[in-house]
Amino acid sequence: MSARPFSSILDALTRQRWVTAALVVSERDGIVVESNLQIGQSGDRVAALAASLYRKARLSARAAGLGAVSFMQLEAPGGRICAVGGGDLVLVVVAEPAVNVGLVRVELLRAVAELLAVGGEVA
Amino acid sequence: MQMTVVEAWIEGPLKRFVVDAGAELALLLHPSGQVLAQHGFARAVDVMSACALAAGIHASSSELGRQLDGRPFRGLHHAGRTRQIFLAEAQSPRGAFVFLTVFGQESSLGLVRLYFEELVNGLAAAAPPVEAITGPALAEHFERDLNRNLAVLFGRA
Repeated sequence: MSARPFSSILDALTRQRWVTAALVVSERDGIVVESNLQIGQSGDRVAALAASLYRKARLSARAAGLGAVSFMQLEAPGGRICAVGGGDLVLVVVAEPAVNVGLVRVELLRAVAELLAVGGEVA
Repeated sequence: MQMTVVEAWIEGPLKRFVVDAGAELALLLHPSGQVLAQHGFARAVDVMSACALAAGIHASSSELGRQLDGRPFRGLHHAGRTRQIFLAEAQSPRGAFVFLTVFGQESSLGLVRLYFEELVNGLAAAAPPVEAITGPALAEHFERDLNRNLAVLFGRA
């Protein structure tokens, strides 16, 4: 088994223009499983907060009868955080404000199937 | 549930931790087992038991770490079915403290670790000057100090 089972997914995401970080995070624990980060970025911090946010969004959507969350986006003056969930894992992307969100969304949704497949193998 | 502290400077950083991390229980103690602050406990006897157990676990896991890895383990996490425990040493200008917290499904280990780092920084910033420190816990005063701290925490001082 590879030491970096999610590297192809993360590499595909960080190849996107203006994407600065991509992480696979455990939704329950908020711990980084694997990440592509730039120097100076705090993966642990982003992972803990993004997983918590995604989990709350998922629970809120379910409580409101909206069904499963497919894609979550947080927009802030300094950039964006996008996330999708697959099983117990969350795929998180951190990007600059100029990023093409549509493209990132397509890439993330495409990556979910692969995430589930690799996650199942790892488990 | 009310938070109570033996020394006032601990309250701010600990309150922030409890709110931000969504902790159900929190306990700050001296490695000897002397309680310094608590959140979420209803009875003095529960605090006393938790302090004794936390100090014992901290001492044995530190020694285990030293023997296995040449240095003490930094933190300990146990995930139960509905609640989880996080126990770690918090270094401060006033020496080392032991921190124990219990959290449920609305929080996560990642959040607890993140806000624990902020708690350590907050305690370091809020700690009074070193010269104001009272003496170390001595064996002959242990029970007296423990009872005094519990009395302060549970309003019987």
